[in-house]
Amino acid sequence: MIASPTRRRLLAGSLAALPLPAFAQSPRITDALGREVPLAAPARRPIMTFNYEEFTAIAGLDGWQRLVGMNRVVWEGWRPAIFNRYLPLIPNLATLPDVGNTDEGTFSAEKVISLRPDLLMVPAWLWRAAETAREQIIAAGIPILVFDYNAQTLERHIASTRAIGLAMGTLDRTDALIERYRRNFEDIRDRAARAAGPAKPRAYVELGQGGAEVIGNSYPPNNLWGRFFEHLGAQNAAAGRIEGGYGPIPAEAVLAADPQFIFIGASSWVNRPKAVRTGYDVAPETTRAGLAPYAQRLGWAGLSAIRDGELHAIEHGLARTLFDDTALLYMAKRFYPGAFEKDDPVASLADYHARFLPVSFSGTWMLPWRS
Amino acid sequence: MAELSAAEAAARESWHRLAARRTAMLAGGLALLALSVVADAATGPAMLPPGPVAAAVLGLGDDPMIRTIVWSIRLPVALMAVLVGAALGLTGAVMQTILNNPLASSYTLGVSAGAGFGAALVIVLGTTLPVAESQAVPLAAFAFAGLACAGVWLLGGLRGATPEMLVLAGIALMFLFQALLALLQFMAAPEALQQVVFWLFGSLQRATWPKLAIVAGVLAVAAPLLMRNAWSLTALRFGDERAAALGIPVRAVRFRGFVFVSVATGVAVAFVGTIGFIGLVAPHVARMLIGEDQRLMLPGAAIAGAVLLSLASVASKTISPGSLFPVGIVTALIGVPFLTWLIITARRSG
Repeated sequence: MIASPTRRRLLAGSLAALPLPAFAQSPRITDALGREVPLAAPARRPIMTFNYEEFTAIAGLDGWQRLVGMNRVVWEGWRPAIFNRYLPLIPNLATLPDVGNTDEGTFSAEKVISLRPDLLMVPAWLWRAAETAREQIIAAGIPILVFDYNAQTLERHIASTRAIGLAMGTLDRTDALIERYRRNFEDIRDRAARAAGPAKPRAYVELGQGGAEVIGNSYPPNNLWGRFFEHLGAQNAAAGRIEGGYGPIPAEAVLAADPQFIFIGASSWVNRPKAVRTGYDVAPETTRAGLAPYAQRLGWAGLSAIRDGELHAIEHGLARTLFDDTALLYMAKRFYPGAFEKDDPVASLADYHARFLPVSFSGTWMLPWRS
Repeated sequence: MAELSAAEAAARESWHRLAARRTAMLAGGLALLALSVVADAATGPAMLPPGPVAAAVLGLGDDPMIRTIVWSIRLPVALMAVLVGAALGLTGAVMQTILNNPLASSYTLGVSAGAGFGAALVIVLGTTLPVAESQAVPLAAFAFAGLACAGVWLLGGLRGATPEMLVLAGIALMFLFQALLALLQFMAAPEALQQVVFWLFGSLQRATWPKLAIVAGVLAVAAPLLMRNAWSLTALRFGDERAAALGIPVRAVRFRGFVFVSVATGVAVAFVGTIGFIGLVAPHVARMLIGEDQRLMLPGAAIAGAVLLSLASVASKTISPGSLFPVGIVTALIGVPFLTWLIITARRSG
C-alpha cells in the first residue's frame, strides 16, 4: 500500500500525462436550440430523422451515402409521392434501416445505438417527445443535433441549416441556401409590411386531409401556417381558438371571422380518397375538384373569400422547409396583389428545384379554386 | 389411540406433501421468471445475436455498442418488468384479501385511474409547472395513487370500512377519476393528448437504473412490512368476525394493507404508466397453484405478476420484430387466455 501523499502525487502526475478528452478540443456545433454539440465534423455515420428534402439540398445526394439510418414513416408514410420521386435517385434509400418515430411510439434508442452512428440529427418535436431515449443515446456517446424548421422562423431555419451543413461538411451549399432563404424571406416580409394598410387581411387555413366533410386542423399564430400569417401581417381566424400547436376550430367560428382568404393544406396522401390533392404528379383539375366541395360547405357561400374566389390549395409539405418562402410569396401575393404583381411563386419553386434538388419540378403545388 | 396417531401421521405427511408441492411451485415460478428475464434481455428492436448479448450481460464482451444496449436499455427494462410485475401482483393479492373480493385490484378500484389522472394533469399543464415534467409526472402519479387510496378508505370508512363499502367506494372513485381523465383528454392539445395516451398504454422502455433503484428501494422496505402481516391476512380470509375472534385487529390490518397498496401501486405505475390486469390475474394464479396461506400466496402472487409482466415485455418486442408494441395491451392479451385456461383446468381437476 503506497502512503497517501505519494499516491496523490502519482495520481496527479498520471492525470497530467493523459491527453485531454477529445471533445474538449474538437469543434462544437451550435444547433437550432442553441445547444453545443460536440462533433469533429464532418459526420461519417449520421442518422437523419426528418426534413429529408432539406438534408438533400444541404448535403447533396452524396450526403445520403453516409447515412446509416433514418425515420422512414415521416417520409415514406406521410409523403409517399415525394418519397417515390427520390427513391430511384438515392441508391440506399430503399434499404436504410428505420429508427422509428415518436408519434407512432416506435422510436427506439436501442435501434439508434445498434447502428453505430457518430451523430443523430432530430427535429425539435422528436427531441421533446423522446426524453428517456435521448438521454440513453447521449449516454452511449452519440451526440444529438437538433434542428427546427417547424418553428417557421427565419432564425431557426438558418440555425438548422447551418448546423446540418456543418455536421455534413457541405459549407458551400449551406451558405448558398441560407443566403437565398434569408434574402427571399426578408424581401417578402418587408414588402408585405410596406404594403399593409390599416385593416389586416383576414385569413383562415385548414388541413384538407379528410376533405370538405371533415373540419381539419387549423394552426394558431405561433405554429406552422399560423406563422406565415404573422409574418405577412394577416389576421388568423384560429387565433386564440387552439390549445397547443394545431387543432380544428368550430365551424361557426370560421363563419363569424368571415375570412377574405382561405387556404386548404393539400398533399399527395395515400388512403385519403377525399383529401385535396397536390404534388409532383397532380393535375390542376384534380386539385380544383378537391377544393370545390369546400365552397359548398354550409354558410361558406356567404364568406368574403368564396365570393371573391380567394379559396386556395397549398401543398402542406411546403411548410417547414427551406423553400417555404415560395408558399409565403404565394400568400403575400394574394394578400397584397399590388405589391407582388410581378412575382411568381410557382416559378420560384421550380427554380429552387433546379438549383438545389435532384428531382425535377412538375405538377400542382399552390392553386386558386377558380382558374 | 393407535388409529388416531396413524391418522395424525397421515395428516402430517399430507401436509408436508402439500408444503413441499407449494414450495416446488414457488421454485418453478422463480425458474420461469429467470428464463423470461434472459429472454427479455436477449430480445429487442436491434435484433442483436444472442451470443454477444450473453457475453455483454456477463461483462465479457468487448463491443461497446452491445454493452450499452444491454446494460443501459435492455437490463433496466427486463428488471423493471420483474419489479413492477411483482409490485402489482402483491397489491392485487392484498386488495383481494383485505376486501374479500376476487375482482379487487388497484386497476379495478380506482388507484391506477388516480395515478393516470395525476400523470395526465401534469402532461396537460406541461410547461406551466415549476418542476421538470420528467420528475413531475411520476411524482403526480404516485401522489394521486395515494390520494385515490385515501379516498377509498375515507369514503368506505364512513360506514365502518367493511369490505362491501370499500369496494363500492373504490368503484365510485374509479369512475370519478376516469371521468376526470376523459375531461383532461378532451381539453388537451393534440400533442399532450398523444403523450397522455402513450402514458396510459404503459411502457417499460422508460426504465433507467435510477428509476429501478427507487422502485426496488420502496419495495424492499414495504414488502417485509407486509409479510409481517401475512398471518393476520390469512385469518381475514375466514371473515371479519372469525378473524376478530382470533384476536386480529381487523380494521388496523386492513388499513395497513391499504397503505401498502397505495405505496406499491404508486411507485410501480409512476415510472412505467398504467399496466392493467397483472394486479387482477396474478393473485388468482397464485391462489390456484399455491392456496390461501398468505405466507406463501403473497410471494406467489409477486412471482406470478413478475413472470406475467416479464413475458409480456418479451412479447411486446417480438410480436412485430424490430418495433415495440405497448406492453399494457400485451398484458391483457396474454393474461386473459392464461387465466381462462387456469379456471378450466382447476374446474376439471376439482
